[in-house]
Amino acid sequence: MHISDGVLPISVTVGSYVASAAIAAWSVRRTRSEELPKLAVMTAAFFVASMVHVPLGPTSVHLIIPGLTGALLGPSAFLSIGLGLLLQSLLFQFGGLTALGANALMMGLPALACGWFFQKYKGRTQLQQVVVGGLAGALGTVLAANILAILLMSGGEDFFGVAKIALLAHVPVVIIESVVSAFTIGFLARVKPALLQSSFLRPTKAAHG
Amino acid sequence: MMIIHRGILVGVLCLFLAGLPGSLLAQTPPEESTHEIVALLKEQNSKLSNDLRRIQREIAALRADLDKPGIKDVFAGIGYIFGLFGAAAFVAARRKE
Repeated sequence: MHISDGVLPISVTVGSYVASAAIAAWSVRRTRSEELPKLAVMTAAFFVASMVHVPLGPTSVHLIIPGLTGALLGPSAFLSIGLGLLLQSLLFQFGGLTALGANALMMGLPALACGWFFQKYKGRTQLQQVVVGGLAGALGTVLAANILAILLMSGGEDFFGVAKIALLAHVPVVIIESVVSAFTIGFLARVKPALLQSSFLRPTKAAHG
Repeated sequence: MMIIHRGILVGVLCLFLAGLPGSLLAQTPPEESTHEIVALLKEQNSKLSNDLRRIQREIAALRADLDKPGIKDVFAGIGYIFGLFGAAAFVAARRKE
């Protein structure tokens, strides 16, 4: 679900570039230097997840995992997704360079929302973390499809038409991502719970750029 | 004399030419074998166009495959990501000192 070059009007393209640059700057400010290795691994995972294709009738859709990225990285997720998308558009020709801002908004905002959602409701028990993680994984793609519809509406498309198609096409992806996110978060909760503490809800002392 | 000779020659030539189409007609195969040949040609033609369509389809599939990013691109991207974050970690660590 990447937006290609030339689909959006210029004003929206420029506007989304400005907005995503601002959010990325905020994301960089909120990133602590101790988190950089985790950020690198999650960025690589996000980058590669789009290679996992799910066959769907004549076409196929691929995983996106904004929900899992957001749940694990918190505020840094936007930076991670922006970089992942930049490399995807350079190496895989997914989406275009001019649509990079819009794509970053489309997948970065759900990631931030899912990160906040996960940190807020993950609770203490492992079971709750798994359930909330699965919900966050599903929520990420659903939100991304809705933002896609909002962005395409600026290009003259009908919001509900696009939203319906995008959501229907991604039903298998939503299910798979939800399972993958729940499994990953359950594993991390058992093995290394410290990784699930992203810095959304606590103030950052030493911010690094 | 010469004129008579030439006249006879021209006459013979005319006769020959007049007789030619007749002889050609006599050489054409009978009606049913023509039909056979036409049917054979049509069959070959359809077989060839089927083959051609199959090959075109294969070319399109190959082109779609070529457009897909390969394993090289995946590892290139992972390398970029780790490299960039490594550089960022380096800068952050130096700033802390």
